[in-house]
Amino acid sequence: MTESATMVAEAAPTPEVKAEGLDFGVFSAGLDEPKALTALRRGAYESYKTLSFPSTKTEEWRYTDLSKVGFESYAPTRPDHEVDEAYPTMVQDVLDRSGDRSGIIVQRNGRVVHAELDPSLAEQGVVFCSLEHAAAEYPELLARTLDAAEPAEMEQKIWTLSLAFSSGGYLLYIPRDVRLEAPVHSFRIIDQAGSFVASQSLVLAESGAEGAVIDEFVSEDIDALSVHSAVVDGGDNATIDYVALQRYGRGVKHFSIQHLISRRDARLGVFNVQLGASLSRGDVSSRLLGQGCDSRMHALWFGDSDQHFDHHTLQLHAEPHAASDLLFKGALSDSSTSIFRGLIRVDPGAQLTDAYQTNRNLLLSDKAKAIALPSLEIEADDVRCSHGATIGQVDDAQLFYLMARGLTRQQAERLLVFGFFEEVLARIPMSGVRARVLEAIEGKIGV
Amino acid sequence: MTEALLEIRDLHARVEDEEIEILRGVDLRVEEGQVHALMGPNGSGKSTLAKVIAGHPGYEVTAGEVLFRGEDVLELEPDERSRAGIFLAFQYPAEIPGVSIANFMRTAANARLSDGEEMDIFAFQRRLMEKMALLKMDETFATRYVNDGFSGGEKKRNEVLQMAVLEPALAVMDETDSGLDIDALRIVSNGINTLTGADDKLGVLLITHYKRILNYIQPDHVHVMMDGRIVESGGADLADKLEAQGYDWLQEAGAAV
Repeated sequence: MTESATMVAEAAPTPEVKAEGLDFGVFSAGLDEPKALTALRRGAYESYKTLSFPSTKTEEWRYTDLSKVGFESYAPTRPDHEVDEAYPTMVQDVLDRSGDRSGIIVQRNGRVVHAELDPSLAEQGVVFCSLEHAAAEYPELLARTLDAAEPAEMEQKIWTLSLAFSSGGYLLYIPRDVRLEAPVHSFRIIDQAGSFVASQSLVLAESGAEGAVIDEFVSEDIDALSVHSAVVDGGDNATIDYVALQRYGRGVKHFSIQHLISRRDARLGVFNVQLGASLSRGDVSSRLLGQGCDSRMHALWFGDSDQHFDHHTLQLHAEPHAASDLLFKGALSDSSTSIFRGLIRVDPGAQLTDAYQTNRNLLLSDKAKAIALPSLEIEADDVRCSHGATIGQVDDAQLFYLMARGLTRQQAERLLVFGFFEEVLARIPMSGVRARVLEAIEGKIGV
Repeated sequence: MTEALLEIRDLHARVEDEEIEILRGVDLRVEEGQVHALMGPNGSGKSTLAKVIAGHPGYEVTAGEVLFRGEDVLELEPDERSRAGIFLAFQYPAEIPGVSIANFMRTAANARLSDGEEMDIFAFQRRLMEKMALLKMDETFATRYVNDGFSGGEKKRNEVLQMAVLEPALAVMDETDSGLDIDALRIVSNGINTLTGADDKLGVLLITHYKRILNYIQPDHVHVMMDGRIVESGGADLADKLEAQGYDWLQEAGAAV
């Protein structure tokens, strides 16, 4: 990989966005749902009303202009009662190819259309169900999970939007010392043009629990808005891996705010794989709240045409003896763009922290652009922290070597992109999960 | 005269955008089934010739022809030359972290097949294992990332393995022997001999700086390159003469050309 200096272009500031057009009254009138859910969305909406969308003057939103998204111009999908339908063909195909699942939830537009969980896990107290169901049956688990998240100021507007207009989503609860041998898999499918789908992924793992989750976001090429918020709370000594596989069609704008919480000795992994959508923004924050915990954050993106990927990350070390590692890698072709802005924050008492942050970008075209802004804020004096970023082109010697074996330039570049991604792919814990991610990337890049 | 496997006529080449010619009129003819050794001091143009035959984009041909089975290949891209049957064993093979040898070789092997005829993972795996058995290589080798962290000997063995899998008509081996200790040299030489033994039509142009490899691989012809030209050609005994007398006696002859 040849490396060149990071060039950061100035974006012109834009005026504040005034956005009060969504009609919550119409949306919420006559909703037949558990009271806990209605209370949750009303509370969120009260906050939403008082907030403004951050403008590009806000540092974290400098390169993604929310005033152009038109949050208010999409029609929110109304929550509807969960139904039980057969899998859509696409879901069946994926499941047929990629192995066992502990549980499956399929959501179409705003509605959960299929939910199932391995009965032996249900017997052990595992919960994997729609948010509607969770609000009715497990309101205390729902509240506990949501309360664990502490959205930052610049996330508040979209966070509250996602809760106020929530439709669909799930809660996964894994009791103490229970282990999921296979991942749970959620599919969110949007097939209504002009729609706005807001949903949550809530994962609560008790002490010693283990599991993996795949969130898959799917649509055809349609104009739609997707707003997603996730909370993954790993209890003491829990092991949780969360994979978000975003393969929406072009025209979709996707916003995902993910809050990961690691308690004492917990091991949390997060993998964001961004392939689809026209605009995809991910705010991923990991708070290390217990000694001895370990957080690994990863992302892969492959951009083409004029796709725009923007990632903002936080590794917050609040306690000593914790480790966090972040590895975000993106490949960009055509005139696609990506932004990475990351912060490692080490609080005053968090001695003996190990924290690393790496962003690598591979540009496959002269028009593609990557911006990398890693940073550190360290207030403890006995820590090991490093951050780094590179932006480079395909290496000519590697390209010639592959072509000298008969690969066309395009085949050679694809293989080099896979090689570039492998460092992250190899860290995906379960082979069934890895196979699914690899297959999705192959579907995008071609083989 | 029949069509040669490789025929090079009055080839002149230079590094792109530079004035000085490195190849200054190379003539060479390699027939099917022949092993030619190309020797010469450092800087004589041997490796440049190998790269120009393979189509390295960093070199510019200013005159002459490179005919492969009668077709001029100079207008072809490196991948087209490879698929036509020309193989370059690199002096310094590139390291490609994250890409396994098996995946790379399957992509390369399938690039030679037409749409719909590609080998699936299992069919290719069988072929790869056959070739590895032929070369007495451990199966786990194929799972490693291409040349990533390889020793010099492993890199050269990997070149020979790729040659075995891709079954070229012509192998240009650019200093495949350099940097190897005697054990590694023996292993690599045995590999090359195994492949020439298995395919009696395979033509080899073995570029080397040292006579040592010719103790293991018997050439049909030996050529000496100096200052961008082939100044002497002969049989296997020419290598012995070079070993005994060095290149100085040719320097004078070269100067007279």
